[in-house]
Amino acid sequence: MDRFDDDFSRRGFLKGSGAALGAGALATLPFQVAMAAAFPERNIKVYVPTREGGGADRNLRAFASIWKNHIKTNFEPAFYPGAAGRVGYETFMGKAPRDCYHLLFGNMGAEVLNWVVKPPTFPIDSYFYFAQVDADPGCLFVSTKSKLKNVDDVVAEGKKRTLNVGVSRLAHPASLGALALADKTGAKFNLIPLSGGRNTLSGVATGEVDFGALPTSSIVGRSAFKIVALFDDKNALPDKIPDAVLVNKHFNMNLPPLVAGARAFGIQTEAVEKYPDRYKTLVSTAEKVYGDPAYKAAVEKTKAPWEYFMYGSAEDCKKYVASITEIGQQYKQYLTGKQKKS
Amino acid sequence: MEFSIEIFAEQFARTFSYWWVILPSILLGLIVGAIPGFSAANTIIILLPLTLAMDPETGLVFMVALYASSRLGAGIPAILVNIPGTAGAAATPLDGYPMTQQGRGQQALTISFTSSVLGGLLTTIIALLAMPWLSQVAYYLHSVEMIVIMIFGISLIASIAARDTLKGLIAGFLGLMIGYIGADVIYETPRGTMGFLELYDGVPLIPALVGLFAISEAFSVIEGDSILTKLGREAMQTGGWGATIEGLRETLSRWWHVVWTAMIGLVIGVVPGAGAAIAAFVAYQQSRAFSKTPEKYGTGHIEGLIAPESANNGVTSGTLIPLLVIGVPGGATAAIMAVVLQYHGVTVGPELFATRPELGYGPFTTMAVTYILMIFTILPLARYMSRVTVVRTVFMAPIIISFTLVGAFVPREYVFDMYLALVFGVIGYVARKTGYHVAAILIGVILGPLLEQYFLRAMRISQGDVLVVFSSTIGNILWVALVVSLCVPAFTAWRRRAAQERTPAAQ
Repeated sequence: MDRFDDDFSRRGFLKGSGAALGAGALATLPFQVAMAAAFPERNIKVYVPTREGGGADRNLRAFASIWKNHIKTNFEPAFYPGAAGRVGYETFMGKAPRDCYHLLFGNMGAEVLNWVVKPPTFPIDSYFYFAQVDADPGCLFVSTKSKLKNVDDVVAEGKKRTLNVGVSRLAHPASLGALALADKTGAKFNLIPLSGGRNTLSGVATGEVDFGALPTSSIVGRSAFKIVALFDDKNALPDKIPDAVLVNKHFNMNLPPLVAGARAFGIQTEAVEKYPDRYKTLVSTAEKVYGDPAYKAAVEKTKAPWEYFMYGSAEDCKKYVASITEIGQQYKQYLTGKQKKS
Repeated sequence: MEFSIEIFAEQFARTFSYWWVILPSILLGLIVGAIPGFSAANTIIILLPLTLAMDPETGLVFMVALYASSRLGAGIPAILVNIPGTAGAAATPLDGYPMTQQGRGQQALTISFTSSVLGGLLTTIIALLAMPWLSQVAYYLHSVEMIVIMIFGISLIASIAARDTLKGLIAGFLGLMIGYIGADVIYETPRGTMGFLELYDGVPLIPALVGLFAISEAFSVIEGDSILTKLGREAMQTGGWGATIEGLRETLSRWWHVVWTAMIGLVIGVVPGAGAAIAAFVAYQQSRAFSKTPEKYGTGHIEGLIAPESANNGVTSGTLIPLLVIGVPGGATAAIMAVVLQYHGVTVGPELFATRPELGYGPFTTMAVTYILMIFTILPLARYMSRVTVVRTVFMAPIIISFTLVGAFVPREYVFDMYLALVFGVIGYVARKTGYHVAAILIGVILGPLLEQYFLRAMRISQGDVLVVFSSTIGNILWVALVVSLCVPAFTAWRRRAAQERTPAAQ
């Protein structure tokens, strides 16, 4: 904007704000539109066990903005971020009716590892995920000011001295990737949980830790950092992260893809058993979102890399959960502090 | 990033042309800042549809003006009715509220506004001029150094305990124990949560804050007719513009105090994750340590009000530096600003100063313009705001309790937090009635978890070597400074006593 008079006048501002407020208010009005179909005949509430404004919020809004057109109803998100998401899961399983009008939207990897470390109060198989919306691989990254320039530097230095690795929390798929790499190469990595992605970025940028492990999309586009390794079968963003090597290929390892951001919709098993037709509608309409060109546009508007958005069925979700649980169990002693070194 | 005076001057003039965005944002910021539980961060989230509809520059002006003014607004209820709306204002009522009780609410508000504006304005200009150097602070203040900074703040407990050692220390340790509740930052093992999931993330600050200060105060004042003392009521009879001018004069005559306490805020603000609460308590502690009249702190001492207010406004510009220099936000509000800019396709980082100077310099020029416009809009209101203190307590107490309960609910939207605020209200009430200082409890609750977090992180990095706390040069310099600042008051008191003993002998 070169001159605000040309593009955005006071009158325009007031008009725009009025319109935006109106649109915002309309979007949040509950139960306004009674839909004709048998299911759903009212809004669907989505329990999100993370904070507003994060990756889950972003992906949910993008997906729901298109899904609502196919399922013919609106979605009402409710955020329960406490206790690394435990509050959200416990509220969903403890209070949400089993009627297919109440869904969960969580990050499967981080959550599964939560249960590995400390089981929930409800049976783990009393809910499951049925629609995965993204697969954001874990990565290792360094500061551009670091003397560690690539993953070989990281491993070589780790063989000389213990390197401190910034992670958002210990029980996280990206953290497991760093542990597995240390086991394979003999490098010594000391995981430092820095309580969230933002603090992890700060820790790496300011040199408090030697390098970091986080979901890839939280690093892409930040000029202060360089991604050096990916825990995935392929580099889906070769133009944006050309220097990242694939850990499995580079180190001859056989890790499952350590998808660090795997957001998906979940539902109570009891709800599916009681209302199989409703569940079928949920699944069939969610699948249609990925065939809708408007969805790609909605995702790209959020600046998240479209390459990481891929649909996963209930079966895919189950496989992912099983693979992360397996590797989580391998490192359970370390994640719970019973074993001090990887 | 190269500073250019031409670009800055042009940007400054350009920002002034946004007065029509800044003025309503100031008003909104003052209101949300003054309501406990609300903050610039959650207001921006609520108004996201409006912010996203604006172009990036207008949106940025709106967010920054709201951020700066909400920080100032939080001091108003802290001074007038002992309700710090945010953790950053938690040190403000220590001297601000006693001034109000003495009928000097109008002066207190004026002092708060002036020191906030001067501190905020000065640090904004310094932040802009010294950004390349200031941004280096974060590279040197790691967990080890932050441990010492935390102890600077926590040592205030010792100062409070100086009046009644045993009770002061008991209150401080109670606060530290309450702060220990929640999952640990390394293994996320819950401690002392009594089975409540809502306590896994620790005791939420706002319910603790409003409970200990405001609800317990409401329980106490209901026993009398007014929150004002007898002298205070007499003083309020003679209200006029004189008190505002007096407050202005008091602040300006202590300009150096404003400057150095604001600088404490700026430096702490630059460290990602540190916040206004730490800055306010550290500034208050330092102000008291180097004061010639430390015994007056806590009784309505002007310097005890200037220190936290100028420091917490100094933090505001500091938190923007990591965002603009390394692209990593230094606090919650800065993080939301980054999200909004990202939505418009703007990647925040040092390249903005060259590619989009209106967005690179914009936050600082907006902050400067906001502070300038704010002083003219808020200062005349001090006289009228202070009249709230003459409302009878039978009306005041229920209003305080209602507001604070809503405020306790807002940040996390858990009904549990409203009950928690009441529990803290009862703890605070019992503490007041039995002579324990609620501020000592609160310091433990706010700074205890941060100290633990930095300590555990340092221990993890050093793989269990306790001596890591003495492993850095800057950390060791800070340790020495801490010891000096703790010894200075005792040394000054000893010299004063010695002088008093000599004086009668000489006579």
